[in-house]
Amino acid sequence: MAGPSIEFDGVGLVLGSTTILEQVSFGVAAGSIHCVVGANGGGKTSLIRALLGQMPHTGRITLNWQDNRVIGYVPQTLDFDRSLPVTVLDFMAMATQRRPVFLGMSGKQREQIARRLAELGLADRMHARLGSLSGGERQRVLLAQALIPEPGLLVLDEPATGLDLAGRDILERTITGFARAGGTVVWINHDIVQVGEIADRLTYINRRVLLDGAPREVLASGVAAQLFPTLGLVQRGAA
Amino acid sequence: MEALYDIPRQFIIGLAETGKIHYTFSYAFVVNGFLCAFVIGPLLGGIGTMVVAKRMAFFSQAVGNAALTGVAIGVIIGESYTAPYLSMFSFCLLFGLVLNFARNRTKMSSDTLIGVFLSISLAIGATALLWVSAKVNTHILDTVMFGSILTVNDTDMNVLLVTALLAAVTALPLYNQMLLASLNPSLAHVRGVRVNLLEYVFVLLLTILTVACVKIVGAVLVEALLLIPAAAARNLNRSIRGFVLWSIVFSTVSCLVGIYAPMRWDLPVPSGGAIILTAAAIFLVSMVVRMLLPRYREASF
Repeated sequence: MAGPSIEFDGVGLVLGSTTILEQVSFGVAAGSIHCVVGANGGGKTSLIRALLGQMPHTGRITLNWQDNRVIGYVPQTLDFDRSLPVTVLDFMAMATQRRPVFLGMSGKQREQIARRLAELGLADRMHARLGSLSGGERQRVLLAQALIPEPGLLVLDEPATGLDLAGRDILERTITGFARAGGTVVWINHDIVQVGEIADRLTYINRRVLLDGAPREVLASGVAAQLFPTLGLVQRGAA
Repeated sequence: MEALYDIPRQFIIGLAETGKIHYTFSYAFVVNGFLCAFVIGPLLGGIGTMVVAKRMAFFSQAVGNAALTGVAIGVIIGESYTAPYLSMFSFCLLFGLVLNFARNRTKMSSDTLIGVFLSISLAIGATALLWVSAKVNTHILDTVMFGSILTVNDTDMNVLLVTALLAAVTALPLYNQMLLASLNPSLAHVRGVRVNLLEYVFVLLLTILTVACVKIVGAVLVEALLLIPAAAARNLNRSIRGFVLWSIVFSTVSCLVGIYAPMRWDLPVPSGGAIILTAAAIFLVSMVVRMLLPRYREASF
């Protein structure tokens, strides 16, 4: 499962009269966990959508694919009517098979879905309604669907939002395991402590790239202390 | 194609004439209505789940009401006033496509935009009907508006059958994709779904269904049959399988009862009205069951 390397080269995006992204250039190494951080409204999600081919942009985004060209995507939220009769299994089938979900699924498909859900601590929630899950459980379901079929590139848009401690551990373990197996991860993440712990590289974006490098070096810089006001508290707490 | 209908039709009429089933079924038009119900029920019940899931009830209602204007325009330009298929289809399609285009291109909320388009469409329809009233007795149009099985002929059944097959061939392979796109368009796009194209395909489906079911349910009430059985099924199910299957059952039962009951008991109700009232009764029961039984209340917050 060798993931791609990615090159963002002078990427720009203007919507109406608002400049969202301006000359954004950085690289994502194959098989690494690359976290994108930044202020709200700084263009992170737009950059991800440009990467996924959903946003017109200037500049160039190059994906140097190897053997696996599948992209797994974990969106920030699902916009749906909570009382809709859709179980977790229904949602997984809907996302991963062509056969209409109300006609059931093959044994092999069901087994694969059950395995993924179990890995993410959701074995007993397979038949629960999607609307009855907690925010953290729903995020783990979204991660589970992104891993079927096995992707080469995993793109996550703030999946840790709403996760409890146990859910956060499962998420980190799954993502680091995925990267260790050769997959590439691009992860929008607000949790700077988590970024410091598991990212191979960090890029801070606020319309432009303000910081880019290994988390240990970047977070030790003076600019980082200004950009992350809570960083000093976190570091003092850790010491 | 008529032979396809003649075999079951003659069989059922034969049963009625020998007293094995109620004599009402010895009339060919009643049997025609029943045959249509077995096509319309599953068709609208199945597609209706998509309307509910995509939260497009108001949209589909607007497309249905646009049929009123289509009928009036059809009569003005000289189409048959008992089956103005071409004008109805053209106007509903134009209405649906322009509305969907505007919805994609403006930042206005969906319900506001639909309300504006619906008002415009009804205003044109009312104006056109005024002209029509000078040419024909507008009561004749009641059959198109509210349904009448008395006028269902083999041509109508052909239109319905072809439409049903077309809808099934289109909707079945796209069902998961449409549903996923309604939950998260970005996720659907990553999984290879052409989200915008599917929106238009769905509008096309709704339009075709409206036109095809017009004789039985009536132009104005077709969309109610898309919505109510699915809404009732949603009240009582926790999985998509149950949702779709019960929606189909409720829709089919509504059609059968709505066609049979007025004939059997001489009720002065058009078939469309009776069908929708039956569906509404099922919906009310489903609501009461949901309120009274805790197992159905999960996730209703």
